[in-house]
Amino acid sequence: MNSVQQIWDDANESKMSCEVLIIGSGAGGSPTAALLAEAGFDVLVVEEGRWVEQGTVAPFSLDQMEQQYRGGGVTVALGLPSIAYTEGRCAGGGTEVNSGLYRRPPTEVVERWRDRWDVRDLDPDELMKTATEVETDIHVTHLPGPASVPSQLLRQGADALGWKHDESPRWMTYPDGNPRHGQRQSMTRTYLPRAAKAGARILTQCRVNKINISHAKATSADVSLANGQAGTISFKFVFVCGGAIQTPAILQRSGLRKNIGQTLAIHPTVKLSARFADAINVPDDVPVHQVKEFAPDLSFGGSASHAGLIALSLLDQWSDFKGAIEDWRNMAVYYAAITSEGRGRVMSVPGLVDPVVTYRLTARDRELLRSGLSRLSLLMLEAGATEVYPSFRGAPIIRGRKDLALAQKRFSVNKASVMTVHLCSTVPLGENRQLCGAGSYGLVHETKNVYVNDASLLPDAPGVNPQASVMAIAVRNARHFIAQEKPHA
Amino acid sequence: MALAPSLHSLVHSTAVTILQHDLPGLPEVVTQEVATFTVRRLGVLATHMRLGVAAIALFVRLFASIAGQPRLLWLSKTHLPLLGEYFRLIRSLSYAYIWEKWPDTRSDGSPA
Repeated sequence: MNSVQQIWDDANESKMSCEVLIIGSGAGGSPTAALLAEAGFDVLVVEEGRWVEQGTVAPFSLDQMEQQYRGGGVTVALGLPSIAYTEGRCAGGGTEVNSGLYRRPPTEVVERWRDRWDVRDLDPDELMKTATEVETDIHVTHLPGPASVPSQLLRQGADALGWKHDESPRWMTYPDGNPRHGQRQSMTRTYLPRAAKAGARILTQCRVNKINISHAKATSADVSLANGQAGTISFKFVFVCGGAIQTPAILQRSGLRKNIGQTLAIHPTVKLSARFADAINVPDDVPVHQVKEFAPDLSFGGSASHAGLIALSLLDQWSDFKGAIEDWRNMAVYYAAITSEGRGRVMSVPGLVDPVVTYRLTARDRELLRSGLSRLSLLMLEAGATEVYPSFRGAPIIRGRKDLALAQKRFSVNKASVMTVHLCSTVPLGENRQLCGAGSYGLVHETKNVYVNDASLLPDAPGVNPQASVMAIAVRNARHFIAQEKPHA
Repeated sequence: MALAPSLHSLVHSTAVTILQHDLPGLPEVVTQEVATFTVRRLGVLATHMRLGVAAIALFVRLFASIAGQPRLLWLSKTHLPLLGEYFRLIRSLSYAYIWEKWPDTRSDGSPA
């Protein structure tokens, strides 16, 4: 990566120019940069965060949160309850810090997007072909050997209940064949080096404050450079790929507001810790098995579970649960995620650097979270847990089926630690001008050269990990752009 | 970041009080380190959250100076919107730091 490193180390000019400016280097921005650079465009990628080499920080640690997450990993969508979320803020974006699990969008979801949002030429079969290409590029594969114990416990519990489950593939390579030694094929390992090889420049620690637009045409972006200096980047085209929170915020700061940031969609998640008779904890990885019996409404899976995160999961009822922390090696954290019908907003407020984010759960969402946590507790008991600790205030310790009714009775979403890692749909794509902020290929409505190409474009939450959807749509849109602007590339 | 110094003065002593109560076995030097870490992490929150935390922290400090430390601990166990979330944020950052850095810490905070 040294040849790439040189580019941003040297980039301390206050004025730069390029043919295509790509704002953000995550799952949307990186493939866009690679494809456009390979087609002969003069591409400049700007990323607000730093380049952090994989392996230099412990996965899911506070150190990683400080270095690679926005707000040190403490970001919240305000509401009742407030919902904690995380955003990657580093070269590669969320792909550097997430679990690496991969799920294609279900065909019926793509058909729904096409029909309800009137997305032109969104053919599910074509999108799946594109997904296949992405899967090759980022090495999507199953484990080369047995899954970790916390993952196998999910499978065992589901088997005992007769519930559907499967192993989610990951974008990983396993150089020595050991399933514990996976190397994530994130954007800094795949599309960003590919973009750089094709001539793209990559500039980290460069924040875009505003895109300057006149008569529907964007001409430049005002940026803050790493040394605190203000700068300007002029361009012919701009792709905003800052993720579902930052992309609408940048557009709003630039004066674009119609159907921008009004329809945030997420997969709200509640958690519990399960305690077993034997040591099962794997501090630096997450389970790959997911239980899909009630999908797409409800899915179960495993979370990162080092001792600090076990302590966090016990915090809501610490007075009763604290003794368990001394047995953290026998424990793991699991989640129930729902496909929400609620929606949120992203609002850029003058004078504030960061946007204000809100989210409102519906009554159906609340009930689904209640039943989800109860079913997850049952799943853990069937997996052999001796005790289950749901993460909400007033929760009882669940030691058997008889305790489930009490836990369900005491549960209230407002008492729970609700969080999410999947954020999307703040600039939905499609031709329906009542619903959509961008056209069928990401061109922001009422602009001539401002494109969005990230999770913001997904019309609603796909019910599965959205990264595959984001990448497939980003590649589709980038190819369409190339065909329009450089048909002989 | 401009608010970091004032946040330190507003939050650090509250964090220490909560830790001394919740985890009485936590060594004093560790308590100070954890509180410092917590304040530092609050200093990198999003702008509006930092402003909100500073406002609540100011209220809490005023309350503690008038009502005294026992009342502060009572207040820290309430679950009022915003106020409850402020104390939960302090505890979340502190507990995560303690058990990530010293995973064998006992439930009362004493070293293994």
